[in-house]
Amino acid sequence: MKQAVEAQQSGNFDQAIRNYKILLEKYPNIAEIHSNLGAALAGEGRYADAIAEYERALKIKPNPQVSLNLGLAYYKAGQLAPAIATLSKLHREQPSNLQALIVLADCHLQLGENKKVIELLTPAQKADPENATFNYLLGTALVRDRQTAQGQLIIDKILRNGDSAQARLLMGTTKLTVNDFSGALQDFAKAVELDPKLPDVYAYYGLALLATGDQPGAKKAFEQELKTNPNNFDANLQLGVVLRQDEENDQALKYFQHALEIRPGDFGVRYQIATVELAKGQLVQAQRDLERLVKEAPKFTEAHVSLATIYFRQKKKAAGERERAIVAQLNAEKQANSPALKAPQ
Amino acid sequence: MIPLLMAALVVRECARCHPAEAKPHPATSMARAMQHPADSAILNEHPVLTAQKGKYSYRIEKNLYTVTNGSASLTFPISWSFGLGDAGQTYVFEKDGIPYESRVSFFRAIDGLDWTLGASNSPPANLLEAAGRQMGTQDAAQCFGCHSTKTQAALEPGVQCERCHGSTEEHLATLKPMKKLRAADAEEISNFCGQCHRTWADVAGKGILGVNNVRFQPYRLTNSKCFDVDDRRISCLGCHNPHQELDRNDAHYDAKCQACHAGGKPAAKVCKVSKSNCVSCHMPKIEIPGSHYRFTDHQIRIARANDRYPN
Ligand code: HEC
Ligand code: HEC
Ligand code: HEC
Ligand code: HEC
Ligand code: HEC
Ligand code: HEC
Ligand code: HEC
Repeated sequence: MKQAVEAQQSGNFDQAIRNYKILLEKYPNIAEIHSNLGAALAGEGRYADAIAEYERALKIKPNPQVSLNLGLAYYKAGQLAPAIATLSKLHREQPSNLQALIVLADCHLQLGENKKVIELLTPAQKADPENATFNYLLGTALVRDRQTAQGQLIIDKILRNGDSAQARLLMGTTKLTVNDFSGALQDFAKAVELDPKLPDVYAYYGLALLATGDQPGAKKAFEQELKTNPNNFDANLQLGVVLRQDEENDQALKYFQHALEIRPGDFGVRYQIATVELAKGQLVQAQRDLERLVKEAPKFTEAHVSLATIYFRQKKKAAGERERAIVAQLNAEKQANSPALKAPQ
Repeated sequence: MIPLLMAALVVRECARCHPAEAKPHPATSMARAMQHPADSAILNEHPVLTAQKGKYSYRIEKNLYTVTNGSASLTFPISWSFGLGDAGQTYVFEKDGIPYESRVSFFRAIDGLDWTLGASNSPPANLLEAAGRQMGTQDAAQCFGCHSTKTQAALEPGVQCERCHGSTEEHLATLKPMKKLRAADAEEISNFCGQCHRTWADVAGKGILGVNNVRFQPYRLTNSKCFDVDDRRISCLGCHNPHQELDRNDAHYDAKCQACHAGGKPAAKVCKVSKSNCVSCHMPKIEIPGSHYRFTDHQIRIARANDRYPN
């Protein structure tokens, strides 16, 4: 055991893993060996195996540190739903475990669940207003949730410590939400310069490049993000969109599918996958996927539009006209809800 | 210029065997949708155009486009003029190899310059932005894709034969039949013309609502009760010949309506109000704010005063 731990501590995970496995043959029911083996596997980047070991350890003996490691392993493997399940349980049991709280908040952020992040972090940030990590995560969630005024307070706080990539990323995100694309672009360019490894920084830079018409630049930025952060949802989704527009359908599909793994069931991604199928002439498959999608998301206008196109292409006139009537209805609702569009002719 | 010469030569070739299409086509707006500044009638008729917009003043003299803010000024040679001025003539210039869309355009209704449609939404932050909007690579490709014709030999300004019929070279060499558009139904023609005039799906999918969508005829027509995907009488070609200039005489369209509304198709009723100039009442003209132009609403309908604009 001692040998194994030493090997692990000196970074020789391979050796450690071998030693733990030998030990487990003799003592299969000692939780610590399973959890140490899990940690060594995680050190090697073998998250699926690490998760299995942590779960074995927890079955033998519950342990908050092992729960945290399990949550982290799920998080790093991009399996956000089980990561959240594990970490929220831990957070309920140990509200003062800050690491659990932070990783949990980041999981929600990656799933686009900004309100959850705000709910989780607002009390923590009040209790420790100078905590840089809290400020950054909470600021990000507020800005993405378009709570601009609240977000600005936090950005100001971050800026008091000088210009930083984090502050720039938040400022740029704020500008994106009000469609100030060239302003956002400048902030993101600066953020990339200050810290090219900051998670999400290249994804947002790419979004601004896309919005200002620099598609090749955007493509490079998304690829850059995925090099260090392969589970970034936006970068996977947007890179797929760019590739689809370049008619690289198979490549596009690869990124869409990964985005769907990160956010299972996401309507936007499923719609993109159907448009790739449409572009590849796989009408039957596209039709089936879109029919399922509109059943779950009946107000998804673009999906109804594509469905109408598919029906007409197959000369299914009645079905096509039915979809068109739905689109007309949805757009009429949108117009009724938007005072600016009500002007008489 | 070489590209123009190419277009002229090709059309003359076609005219030998297809005079009905090739003779009138060069005079259409589509054939002239993009021009060298030297060929722009507007620039030739107005040797100097000026406008004061806020703190910026604009001046177009022949093919030179200048913007000043009092202390500094920028001048660019115009590369291309887009459109013929009814809903605007917009100028495209280049700086460091990047194309820009002029922030002001010429409008026939006011016989002068005003903001390019959409430009007033984002005030300029500096002199260059006051001159024009930087076009992204995709944006520029789309712009030229709708207003010009890319052939193997060159970029020909305007929507020329090949843009709709496909490569002419093989046809000229072997008389191999070109793309047959005649067989298409109303839906297919809407999508074909909609490559540039925007399809129903383009507009419905983006949710472009309100009067701004009146210029997208395929979308408006589709939403009309008259539209039937299978019925060629209501296709774009039922009323328009793309080889000829648009007919601005209301009476020209009566026979097109009556092809259905004179008892021919059981469902189509007869008007109790009038027997002529149908489009003057049923295809109202609607101005998009800032365009200085009244577009024809292709959502054929009973239009009553104070009705809300229907999507
Ligand atoms: C030497 C005579 C000749 C010239 C020059 C010529 N065409 Fe044709 N074109 C024909 C003939 C003959 C046909 C019928 C071919 C067939 O159906 O097999 C035809 C057919 C077509 C059709 C298809 C019409 C239909 O509905 O089937 C198009 C479109 C067309 N030509 C366009 C052009 C264009 C554009 C040019 C100039 C670039 C051109 N042609 C030059 C003789 C010519
Ligand atoms: C390649 C793009 C393209 C395609 C395809 C296209 N158009 Fe156009 N069309 C244009 C452009 C650009 C203009 C504006 C011309 C201008 O005023 O500068 C235009 C203008 C017109 C006009 C108005 C002419 C006028 O005098 O104001 C009519 C009518 C028209 N198109 C009909 C059609 C029909 C019908 C089809 C399908 C058979 C079609 N177009 C296909 C690009 C296209
Ligand atoms: C998807 C195709 C498409 C693209 C992209 C496009 N146009 Fe057009 N444009 C048209 C069509 C079709 C018309 C004619 C109908 C109308 O006025 O809406 C037109 C009309 C115009 C007119 C008014 C013409 C007149 O005679 O009144 C101007 C000016 C113009 N376009 C400029 C531009 C510029 C500049 C760009 C690029 C920044 C551009 N367009 C991009 C299709 C396009
Ligand atoms: C904006 C698109 C467009 C452009 C530009 C265009 N055409 Fe056509 N053309 C069509 C369509 C659509 C048809 C089918 C017309 C119909 O069915 O009434 C057609 C039909 C034809 C036909 C066959 C006519 C017949 O009786 O079947 C010929 C020949 C032709 N075009 C030649 C030309 C030539 C030559 C040019 C260039 C001078 C040209 N076209 C430019 C869209 C276009
Ligand atoms: C039932 C007849 C009819 C049909 C079908 C039709 N149009 Fe028109 N269109 C008209 C009339 C009428 C005008 C106005 C002529 C005038 O200015 O007096 C017009 C004008 C236009 C213009 C000039 C711009 C404007 O809004 O005034 C364009 C472009 C155009 N049509 C394109 C199309 C396209 C594309 C289609 C097919 C989707 C189509 N049209 C189908 C009757 C028709
Ligand atoms: C392809 C055949 C066809 C053509 C061409 C056509 N219509 Fe119609 N139209 C119909 C049908 C079908 C209806 C729905 C039944 C009815 O009201 O007669 C209709 C409905 C209408 C209505 C009633 C719309 C409402 O809101 O209740 C008007 C008005 C009308 N058409 C006018 C015209 C005019 C004007 C033209 C020419 C510019 C025209 N139609 C061309 C087939 C056609
Ligand atoms: C002076 C304006 C005017 C002109 C011109 C006109 N209409 Fe109408 N049309 C109307 C009005 C107003 C109504 C609605 C009458 C009512 O309230 O019942 C109408 C109704 C209709 C209807 C619906 C009939 C019904 O019973 O529901 C059709 C179809 C129609 N018109 C077609 C045409 C056609 C085709 C032409 C050209 C031959 C034409 N209209 C010319 C004003 C006009």
